[in-house]
Amino acid sequence: MSQAPRRTRVRQLADSVWPGRTVNGYANLIAARLRKLADEKSTGVLPVSGPGDGAIFFRGGQVIYAESSRTPLPAPRAVGLAALGLVPSEDPQSLGQEYTGGAELVPARSVGRITGALVLTESVIDALTELLSSDSRYAKFRHADDPPAGQVRPMPVDVLLTEVQRRHAVLRQLAAVVTPDTAVAREPSLDGPAAQVSPAQWALLARTGDSTTPRGLALQLGRSVFGTTIEVCRLVELGLLAVPGRLAGPERPAEPGDGSAVPRPPAAVSFIRAVAGERGSDG
Amino acid sequence: MILPEAGELLTPAMEIDGFRLGCLIDASTGMVLASVQNQDAPAPATAAAGAADLVNVLTLLNGKLATGEILEDVMITLSDSFFMVRPVGHDPDPRILLLVVADRHRTNLAMAHRSLRDLCASFSS
Repeated sequence: MSQAPRRTRVRQLADSVWPGRTVNGYANLIAARLRKLADEKSTGVLPVSGPGDGAIFFRGGQVIYAESSRTPLPAPRAVGLAALGLVPSEDPQSLGQEYTGGAELVPARSVGRITGALVLTESVIDALTELLSSDSRYAKFRHADDPPAGQVRPMPVDVLLTEVQRRHAVLRQLAAVVTPDTAVAREPSLDGPAAQVSPAQWALLARTGDSTTPRGLALQLGRSVFGTTIEVCRLVELGLLAVPGRLAGPERPAEPGDGSAVPRPPAAVSFIRAVAGERGSDG
Repeated sequence: MILPEAGELLTPAMEIDGFRLGCLIDASTGMVLASVQNQDAPAPATAAAGAADLVNVLTLLNGKLATGEILEDVMITLSDSFFMVRPVGHDPDPRILLLVVADRHRTNLAMAHRSLRDLCASFSS
């Protein structure tokens, strides 16, 4: 199963979205629809349209798979140079057929198995985070449509909605610095103090051009858009990336006695604030 | 829990004296992957978010210091609890964190520290 036909199929499903259903806070309605499908123990697919097309697959009232055209498809865990994003990823056609790491619910006995299961889980949650945006609409539920072969993992709707709500809260925090669609560029003055970056961060730095977005990097590397946006934000904090046209990042000190100093944005990434503070609109 | 089957990995942590909460956390997103807890445990989502934030701040510190060191663990002492966080695996860019919260008055910190180290080593085998 190739990536292109799957994208096409998702687009075809989303074309049937009922017109006129867009209202403010539509994500609430999608969340309510998902809960109802869970209560009814439905099996099938819910097409979703909005900034990106996508679909959410159900089996027995649990979400088993989700896909958005604006987030990467699940891929096997990268190893070696691939983990650093330094070699091309495998052909997506082969990924869809071969990857079954998340399909079985057997005890995970090693960190490798957890990470393998997390690849598919993260992809599904990343897609849901995109699909449950306030601009999305859902179409008529299609009973008994099959998900892509070999890439299913049952997850309770309530657990997923809680996680999506938390992610939306984190993204609202990050919006002061960067969003998934904000263009970023490498900081031209890399002659500052030495900085230590992780392999994952280095892969992002190496691929950042003059106008690269976190979403573009995520799609290029096959990583989570949410995770990549956070990582890009950290690189901005480290002063290694910059948002063109904006003043230097959150760490830029205001000059003493300068009453016109630009107020510093809040500390960018805080998971604890997303849990304990803001309330999302996802229902 | 997102990965309920991973909860089995945490079972040995429950043998730590004074155990309250054990979590596996995705460090990059702050998501709780699996958790086990006793009745007096703190909220897993909040504890996990705090642990991920701590590790991120320490990683930022490491990045700024640029000494080439790797974070091994974080031990926090509160008036009634120990919070212990340890990256799982030997990756310099840890993806998964283990968090254990234990009752300070019932826990031998050195023994708990050793248990966590052994537990994380067993994950990688």
